[in-house]
Amino acid sequence: MKPFDYQRATDADSAISLVSGDPEARYIGGGTNLVDHMKLGIAEPGKLVDITRLPYDSVESLPDGRVRIGATVRNSDLAAEPVIRQRYPVLAQALLSGASGQLRNLATTGGNLLQRTRCSYFQDVTTPCNKREPGSGCSALEGWNRHHAVLGASERCVATHPSDMAVALAALDADVLVEGPDGQRTVPVTELHRLPGDEPERDTVLRHGELVTAVELPSLPFASRSRYRKVRDRASFAFALVSVAAAVELVEGTITDVRIALGGLAHKPWRATEAERVLRGAPATEETFRAAADAELAAARTLRDNEFKVPMTRNTLASVLRELTRQEGS
Amino acid sequence: MSDTHAPAHRPQDLDDAIAGGVGESPLRPDGTLKVRGDFAYSSDLWAENMLWGATLRSPHPSARIRSVDIGPALRSPGVHAVLTAEDVPGRNLYGLKDIDQPVLAEDVVRYRGEAVALVAADHPETARRALDLIEVDYEVLEPVVDAELAAHDDSLPKVHPGGNTVRYQPIVKGDPEVTADVVVSGTYTVGMQDQAFLGPESGLAIPAEDGGVDLYLATQDLHTDRKQTAAALDLDPELVRMTMSGVGGAFGGREDLSMQVHVCMLALRTGRPVKIVYDREESFFGHVHRHPAKMYYEHGATRDGDLVFVRAQLYFDGGAYASKTPVVVGNGTTLGVGPYDVANVSIQGWGMYTNNPPCGAMRGLGAVQPAFAYESQMDRLAEALDMDPVELRIRNAISRGDTTPTGQVLDYPAPVAELLRRVRELPLPEAPAAGAEPDIRDLPGGASNTTHGEGVVRGVGYGVCIKNICYAEGADDFSTARVRLQNVAGEPLAMVHTAAAEVGQGLVTVQQQIARSELEVERVNIHPNDTSVGPAGSSSASRQTYVTGGAVQAACRAVRERLLAITAERFGEPAAELSLSGGKIVSRESGVLADIAEVLGSEAIEETREYHHRETFPLDERGRSERAQVQHAFSAHRAVVDVDTELGLIKVVQLDCSQDVGKAVNPESVVGQIQGGSAQGLGLAVMEEIQVGEGKIRNPSFTDYLIPTILDMPPMNVDVIERGDPNAPYGVRGVGEPPTISSTPAIVAAIRAATGRDLTHVPVGPEHIIG
Ligand SMILES: Cc1cc2nc3c(=O)[nH]c(=O)nc-3n(C[C@H](O)[C@H](O)[C@H](O)COP(=O)(O)OP(=O)(O)OC[C@H]3O[C@@H](n4cnc5c(N)ncnc54)[C@H](O)[C@@H]3O)c2cc1C
Ligand code: SF4
Repeated sequence: MKPFDYQRATDADSAISLVSGDPEARYIGGGTNLVDHMKLGIAEPGKLVDITRLPYDSVESLPDGRVRIGATVRNSDLAAEPVIRQRYPVLAQALLSGASGQLRNLATTGGNLLQRTRCSYFQDVTTPCNKREPGSGCSALEGWNRHHAVLGASERCVATHPSDMAVALAALDADVLVEGPDGQRTVPVTELHRLPGDEPERDTVLRHGELVTAVELPSLPFASRSRYRKVRDRASFAFALVSVAAAVELVEGTITDVRIALGGLAHKPWRATEAERVLRGAPATEETFRAAADAELAAARTLRDNEFKVPMTRNTLASVLRELTRQEGS
Repeated sequence: MSDTHAPAHRPQDLDDAIAGGVGESPLRPDGTLKVRGDFAYSSDLWAENMLWGATLRSPHPSARIRSVDIGPALRSPGVHAVLTAEDVPGRNLYGLKDIDQPVLAEDVVRYRGEAVALVAADHPETARRALDLIEVDYEVLEPVVDAELAAHDDSLPKVHPGGNTVRYQPIVKGDPEVTADVVVSGTYTVGMQDQAFLGPESGLAIPAEDGGVDLYLATQDLHTDRKQTAAALDLDPELVRMTMSGVGGAFGGREDLSMQVHVCMLALRTGRPVKIVYDREESFFGHVHRHPAKMYYEHGATRDGDLVFVRAQLYFDGGAYASKTPVVVGNGTTLGVGPYDVANVSIQGWGMYTNNPPCGAMRGLGAVQPAFAYESQMDRLAEALDMDPVELRIRNAISRGDTTPTGQVLDYPAPVAELLRRVRELPLPEAPAAGAEPDIRDLPGGASNTTHGEGVVRGVGYGVCIKNICYAEGADDFSTARVRLQNVAGEPLAMVHTAAAEVGQGLVTVQQQIARSELEVERVNIHPNDTSVGPAGSSSASRQTYVTGGAVQAACRAVRERLLAITAERFGEPAAELSLSGGKIVSRESGVLADIAEVLGSEAIEETREYHHRETFPLDERGRSERAQVQHAFSAHRAVVDVDTELGLIKVVQLDCSQDVGKAVNPESVVGQIQGGSAQGLGLAVMEEIQVGEGKIRNPSFTDYLIPTILDMPPMNVDVIERGDPNAPYGVRGVGEPPTISSTPAIVAAIRAATGRDLTHVPVGPEHIIG
């Protein structure tokens, strides 16, 4: 590990100026991803600015029905928050399906959103990887790519985003509040992460020095009927092979509104707009569910080892929709 | 308390039951400490003024080393030594069977992770950073990565000058060309499994004034480590003293050297204590793994279901160095038909060098891979014959008096059919009531709420196996025990001293139990294991209770003999009339003569004994041997599995086992071994695989290499039977390995029964079930 400076920020402005003024500086939240990367030699920051003492550690219900989650709220605390459990069960479930209790106690909302891919070539500095070393090539294309993307990938990179929480946030149409040297801006969570395209080294649209301060959830009343389902290789403590976050509004057997996002399939939490389009206004039947899944997966491109993700996604999505519509109807 | 005024007791007055003897389950002396986190493991070692060692490893699976520049590393502050192959004082080669692995690579590296240089520094981080400053100029070469190809394609590069075959062994019995009514064939593959022990490789070396070195470490076999280390250090073995420190699991992964020579070299060079501890990633590169295998099988049977022949070709990928590959080939081929009586056998086994990670010992050595294949074949055959798979197995089960494929007659119980019948009779889990909402915790995916039972189907499968116990094929297999009996504060205390490694299996308890039973004393201490007593051999091959147990028994009996002789002289009674009971010496004629402590007085009685098991003999070129293996053990599993066919998820609902242990010296430990072994077999069945591509491990972490958690491991019914082996001390039969072997095929059979899928590879993943 390369030597680094460590500073604990006490206010946002100084944190932002510390990081934006120094190309080698990085924010650190719980450190559960960044410190691993430093050990593996993937990240070599010269300065760490610890943001966990900034006043972003609470969950607030806003007067207009929105809910604001501070960027340093720990994953465990967020999952236990009554307003999240009641109004956005999909988010609580997604959080609790991730990592382990110890990790969730440390991991922050901002850090979870910005965690990087688990692609094994990305994590192995002795192998070529365009994300780690632009232009060096993508080892996963011809290599072990069981965990890799089937949607939205490019010739340069086929990595997936590993976060469970971000999939739920994408389904909920959350906004990410960002503060930078030039002031504040709001980025919809669905636009925070990028597709790899020609620049797989850029995971998100954030600029160096921009600080995530909060995530805001829209009021979205029907999200109280929502679900996160994660399919993985063992019963707990494993990343998603495939996951589905969904919320359904059902009126007399017809789906009047719906939000779906998919995990484990793409370089970003994948908002399933095609599936939503098929479902909106349609009867809640098995045929509709399958048609929705097929519409979304029509664009899927599989690699040597990940063909199974397509039927797995189709079946998981259908199963989640079945469950949500059954619940609502009965 | 001794009451000298009391009349002598008659034998019937004695409370002669010394608690905690053979056949009981006394508390483990290390148990409470381990559970409370107070147990000191070798990674906790610490010495005043010590330095930290680190290892530079090859990033390439195959390369020529053009040059190594250690200058910048050596000049960096805090660094005390940087060593390369040139600094190896003695023989720069070691190995358990073939001596083929360099301590530090010289002109070539043969696998990714091979040690190239060493650093000692005043802080572990300083040492690691210094590694980055060592400049190695590599000429990268094309790696050999396919063992089957390596066996037959002479145009491939040679990983070692002698060629790519480590061992080739055929086994021929009867008529290899015979035909049969019904023939089934299949090709099976087993992925590379890791031992996944929790305590990483670690040791602390302290240079001694006599020019030698004291090494504290976690290992499976002190003396074999010492022999190899002393040769590399060019020291008399007596000057290389090793002491066992807390071992955090082993499962075969600590049989080969890892940091032993390295840490001693650094200590001797710097004149200071040096400690090396691997981190988890380095540990994946720092120890051998289970051999991946590709196996072609053909089984022929009569229409009635009698096996006529078994033919097989087995390819084991040994990776870059031989390690235990010769033994894997020996076990794989000799046990390749399974626990069945087969008249005509033709098996060929190849253990190959490649540029993949070296593979060696792991629980079930060489028997795990063929068991998956031959049990899959038995199920196929049952299907082809339209027979019940358990009945087919029972019909062909080997039993006492039968001849193995190597020509060895089994002269001890082989209750294979009985085990199958028993495991079949164990209670099955209740099927979920029709129409009732299932408890999601019981479904595939478990509490994470993945499945709601729509596509879930249940299957039941069986597996049975054979494993040889102890070293085989002519190895002189023995262990040594020194037992000292003395009077401590008026009570007799026995001290048992061996070099046998407690790797978690409960050997310390077993040794205490044997001493209690043999010497009729309550208090038994276990001396720290070190090389100041004779060799014990490795804690492997399920052999320690057999051989070290035998040595402790023999040493105790020698001590007892002397004690009785002293008593006989003092009391004028013939020694043959005396015995020990409840801490006292009893005469058949006149009852209690004295307390053991009294007779001992201030004298201690100490005896050292070796125990050698019956001789074994090598295989000839047709794989024949009068006795290739000294003992065989058997277990049978039944798995009940739920599979979500839509999501490809598997949940093992119940895993039951019947096993013959000869004699359960410690019944609780036996059950623990069966549970643990079964969990390891479950891991291989449904999740554990080191992914290797182009010679590189892709998942060297416990985040990416998955082992079962408590949520994946089902409840077990464990049925232990004791059909003693008349040749073994107390009739014991090795326990640790069989349950690792028969659990895997049982689980896969259950998944096949549930899904109708072929499933020819383990681990089975969702991709094999859906799509
Ligand atoms: C063994 C293991 C298993 C795991 N399993 C799962 C799983 O199943 N599902 C899952 O979703 N995740 C899993 N994770 C990942 C875990 O969720 C993330 O490591 C964690 O959420 C990261 O949060 P953190 O606060 O520790 O981030 P850090 O490591 O502190 O930071 C991560 C990144 O975000 C940046 N950053 C942090 N906060 C901010 C901010 N406010 N503004 C701008 N930049 C910021 C940092 O600079 C860094 O680049 C697992 C991790 C491990 C180690
Ligand atoms: S998939 Fe992306 S992260 Fe993985 S090796 Fe290719 S470029 Fe690197």
